[in-house]
Amino acid sequence: MSAFLGYLLNGLAVGCAIALIASGLVAVHRVTGVVNFAQGTFAVVAGLCVSSLLGLGLPHGLSEVAAVLVAALAGLLTGLAAIGRPGTTPLSSLIVTLGVGVLAYAVEIVLWGDQPRSAPGLAGSVTVAGARIQTQHLLVIAVTAVTFVLLALFFGRTYLGKALTACASNPYAARVVGLDVRRLGLLAFALGGLLGGIAGVLVTPLRPISFDTDVTLIVNGFAAAVFGGLTRPVVALAGALLLGVAETMAAGYGYGAHQLEVALGLMLVVMIVRAGRRSTIHQEAV
Amino acid sequence: MSRPPVGTLIGLPVAAVTLALPAVLDDSALAVYILLGLAAMVTVGVSLLMGYAGQVSLGQGAFYAIGAYTAALLSLGGVPPPVGLVAAPVVAAVFAVVIGTPLLRLRGHHLAFATLAMQLILLSLAGQLDFTGGDIGLQAIPQFGVGSFEMGGAAAYAYLTWGGLALVMLVTHNVITSRPGRALRALATSETAAASSGIPVGRYKLTVFALSAAFAGLAGGIYCFYTGYVAPGSFPVLISIQYIVMAVVGGLGTIWGAVVGATAITLLLQGLNTLATVPGMPTYAPSVLSYAVYALVLIVVVLFLPQGLLPAVTGRLAARRDRTRQPLTEERDGSAAESR
Amino acid sequence: MIDVTGLVVSYGSATALDHVTLSIRPGEMVALLGPNGAGKSTLANTLAGLLTPASGTVTVHGRLALIPEGRQLFPDLSVADNLALGGWRSGQRDPAPVYTLLPRLAELAPRRAGVLSGGEQQMVAFGRALMSHPDVLVVDELSLGLAPNVTSGLARHLVELNRERGLTVLLIEQNARLAFELCERAYVLESGRLVAEGDCADLAGDPRVAGAYLGGAIT
Repeated sequence: MSAFLGYLLNGLAVGCAIALIASGLVAVHRVTGVVNFAQGTFAVVAGLCVSSLLGLGLPHGLSEVAAVLVAALAGLLTGLAAIGRPGTTPLSSLIVTLGVGVLAYAVEIVLWGDQPRSAPGLAGSVTVAGARIQTQHLLVIAVTAVTFVLLALFFGRTYLGKALTACASNPYAARVVGLDVRRLGLLAFALGGLLGGIAGVLVTPLRPISFDTDVTLIVNGFAAAVFGGLTRPVVALAGALLLGVAETMAAGYGYGAHQLEVALGLMLVVMIVRAGRRSTIHQEAV
Repeated sequence: MSRPPVGTLIGLPVAAVTLALPAVLDDSALAVYILLGLAAMVTVGVSLLMGYAGQVSLGQGAFYAIGAYTAALLSLGGVPPPVGLVAAPVVAAVFAVVIGTPLLRLRGHHLAFATLAMQLILLSLAGQLDFTGGDIGLQAIPQFGVGSFEMGGAAAYAYLTWGGLALVMLVTHNVITSRPGRALRALATSETAAASSGIPVGRYKLTVFALSAAFAGLAGGIYCFYTGYVAPGSFPVLISIQYIVMAVVGGLGTIWGAVVGATAITLLLQGLNTLATVPGMPTYAPSVLSYAVYALVLIVVVLFLPQGLLPAVTGRLAARRDRTRQPLTEERDGSAAESR
Repeated sequence: MIDVTGLVVSYGSATALDHVTLSIRPGEMVALLGPNGAGKSTLANTLAGLLTPASGTVTVHGRLALIPEGRQLFPDLSVADNLALGGWRSGQRDPAPVYTLLPRLAELAPRRAGVLSGGEQQMVAFGRALMSHPDVLVVDELSLGLAPNVTSGLARHLVELNRERGLTVLLIEQNARLAFELCERAYVLESGRLVAEGDCADLAGDPRVAGAYLGGAIT
């Protein structure tokens, strides 16, 4: 039982990191219609940055915040490439973000080499109902919870957040009332970078991160986001937690070798089922 | 290639040079030549899929791998190599039909991720299953040969490769100049419009998907005989991205564009590789340079030359530009509408 | 207030507006008539700056607000949020003045715009446009899909704003009866070209216009 609880909390922590990536994907997709393939890259950039900054002797807190800001900047630059040029279709933008992800490989290898890097997180562990839980796992869960609450407040209560929702809700109407859809799209990309960065900073102490970790991160994040049709962050959160727990359980009970297939297979099934229903949904929307 | 006169004019000298090259190149240059031909073969399929069916596949490397493993397993099992080589594209195409039936209900980024997932799953399985040799893969694959004749030299493989490429180009040419092929053009622009004008969209998409898989499978089959081994590590995700780069650079939906794109990227990478291995360069230089080249070429071409290198050079822009810039009220999904 | 000279707008190779010239004076209420696909909404979108002319000039003095065809609300947001976003340009986010004018909107404020009836949505679209404190209001198909009594309620508000506050109005309508009732002057657009213009009284008497727009009793 205690092993189960341990796997559960561990899985929730993994799921939280996936959820942050997924929420970044959702934020960008809602506002711009673009799926940002470089979303996993932001986490890698932040993770590598934090390992360097801590290595240079900067204190905790400052290092993490700086790393997250670097990721947000990376998000903004990705957005400039992906949607900065008028007339870029969403699919072209996807290919551009793919290019940005590969470009990041080159930059990351030059700056950090091609070996995985780690960073110290919260040391120690606590015992909950007989299960030993790493403190870092609890930190991941807590930070993710706070981030999601702040996101909900931002989108639901602030004027700027509502403007972003308006772009998602009806881009044409957004232009009619004078919203600068492209600039708000860039803001969404920066927000995506920020969220990816938080994920990276949280995960690096748990699993060493290297330049090509982004593929696993983006695929898991996309799998979670697809649960909510790439538009509903709360459903994406649920999907991510489910994915994280399922993968951790699979690994914990000895099926670790197949955890990627489980996640990807699940994603395919969800997408295909949703595609079957989409034709009717689409008609309602129009 | 909707312009046979230009094609023939350029095509004949190109064919002559193509035939002459294997005789004059040394072994290391031949290796590049062969890999270039194989990449071009896959890229023709990717270009067809993206340009004519409007679909992005991030998993074309999976079909390449399926072809390679099929041919390898069959010939290791004692089946004559020619049968293995024919089976490679057939198995890849059958797999594409089976998996494409559900997958092609997805569009745009969904399909892109689904095909990427497919490749990751297949690679992971190939790395774990016993009959595929796990991470080590399959080795000591017999040389390609017919009857008692066994192909030894690299030059022979070069001819096999470029013969295969010619076949692939011929098939593609026939497909896109056929009546259904012209209807396919409409698919890439607007699926809804194509469907409402009575085109069986689903069947066409599946056919193109299977065809592109077959091309990749054939290339994979030749690859396994040429190198003598296959392993999951030979088919990284980046290889699928590479085919997209080549297709986009050459110009989507053009047969020669795919070959031009594959040639341009291969030669560029080869040149940089030479530069990167100059003494004094850091050990990571080759990979950094190749990543940077893929990325920058992809971004610049998508943004600034969306119709690709070849059509840009041949100057047939106007018609296509009109096609790609669509009016305000087109589909909600788009920032196309927002940008106006 | 609005001066359009030789305006050409095209989508790719298709020309939507072909050398359109028109002029609207401050405080006027002018109708633009024409069948489906004549280019009326293209003109509206061009006046609002959402489309770029291929050639010709568009000059708008003062702030222009558009009530687009099909209301085009933000269905996921509340009525209050829809109105608040209408004030994006003016920086005026408080919908109180609009509530004074259209008290019904105050009652609808907390509801999601997407679930409202067509008439209610049109009223929200109306209110949202007023949030930007426009000098010119372009109304694209006020009556489309609405019951006659709902339309006349909205039309009354429109006339009131025009007479009492001097709001300039361009009313784009398929319902010529309504347009002639409300406006002094009208333009007729067909296949991207202006084919008739003048006082509504004269146009209503013009057999061509009357035959095409009044004869068949559209509503």
